[in-house]
Amino acid sequence: MTEERSESAAGLSFKMGEALLRNGAEIFRVQETMERVARAYDIEEYDVYVLSNAIFANAVENGEKIDTKLKFVPGSTVHFGRIVGINQLSREIVAGKVSVEEAYARLHEIVSIPYTHPIRLDLACAVGSACFSYLFGGTVFDAAAAFICGFVLQVFLNAIDSRTASKFIINLASSAVVAVCAVLLFTVGLGDSLDKIIIGSIIRLVPGVALTTSIRDFLNGDYLSGTIRIIDAFLVGGCIAIGVGAVVMTYISLTGGAPLL
Amino acid sequence: MTPEVVFDWAIQTAVAFVATIAFAIIFHTPREQYVCAGLVGAFSWLIYIIYVYFTGDVVFASFFAALGLTYLARVFSFARKAPLPVFLIAGIFPVVPGAGIYYTGYHIFMNNNVEAMSKGVETIKIAIAIALGIGIVVSLPRFFFTLRRKGSTT
Repeated sequence: MTEERSESAAGLSFKMGEALLRNGAEIFRVQETMERVARAYDIEEYDVYVLSNAIFANAVENGEKIDTKLKFVPGSTVHFGRIVGINQLSREIVAGKVSVEEAYARLHEIVSIPYTHPIRLDLACAVGSACFSYLFGGTVFDAAAAFICGFVLQVFLNAIDSRTASKFIINLASSAVVAVCAVLLFTVGLGDSLDKIIIGSIIRLVPGVALTTSIRDFLNGDYLSGTIRIIDAFLVGGCIAIGVGAVVMTYISLTGGAPLL
Repeated sequence: MTPEVVFDWAIQTAVAFVATIAFAIIFHTPREQYVCAGLVGAFSWLIYIIYVYFTGDVVFASFFAALGLTYLARVFSFARKAPLPVFLIAGIFPVVPGAGIYYTGYHIFMNNNVEAMSKGVETIKIAIAIALGIGIVVSLPRFFFTLRRKGSTT
């Protein structure tokens, strides 16, 4: 059984941890799930160290030492459907209901749960942008403009390939797209405050949850993960500000209007 | 507290409900959890605006909103047997200081250093307040959340 490494229980636990981290689970959940699965299959020595962008783990299974290091891109897409699936699977493994082979098959199924259809994402982003524009004190017209900007933003995000373009370029470009769209709508006459339109539509990109998660990591004692996340949040936030700022600055100098904030 | 204010609260809560569901869809949440995630988001926003209305302090408003929303998220998490972040991350979206980060960067870029500083400090304070609020509720023992479901196992 040990010669087939991909069928080993330790390999299963690594794969589950990797899938969790890739789809945006918290650090301690990844660690806990991996350890729980390893314990359920009686792996003798199991040590794992999880960072927000990497897993280091090694195990001794049937007298053979297995070393694994996995690396990831930080800030990958959050997919709660997959996290729920893996969570359910790990519960059943702990209850002793699933064999290793079955678990591999189940995991494969879970990891291939598709992403939501792009059109639904577009609409969700549009509705979310409109709602936040209203919550931040915008009028109904601002919300209508933010609806269109949010739709354009998600269409743009779907169109670019996140594996080839750098994350910072993506944030810079997409926030500029939002700002251009908002400025155009504002010039045409839709919306009362350019600021409220932009803040509503930009909320999809802004790393508010990442900043909060980073502070939570600090409180949990995961200083390294917290640092990685907080630097990430500030860089992304800066990119968005520059993307929007450049467009708004150009707009102001072209029209000679007063600053908007 | 006039009827108009209460009416405004109701509307804002409804909008926050819809907004949270929209972001739950973007995070690929399973469909059967949409309503619960939305309720968590609406609840957090309601606490936030009521606290801001009476005291005007956004940092403590965020702290109490985080306490309330994490409590509700944990109740849902046990009741619906789904991991906590499904409800927590979507529900936290309305109060999280995303706008603060953006305004800080924007003011730095536009050379308004004083405003950039005050926005930046406020953003960090809100993030710490929310993280503390979540941390407190997450570390409570589980019987606080499963009182009416005695004997049920998760």
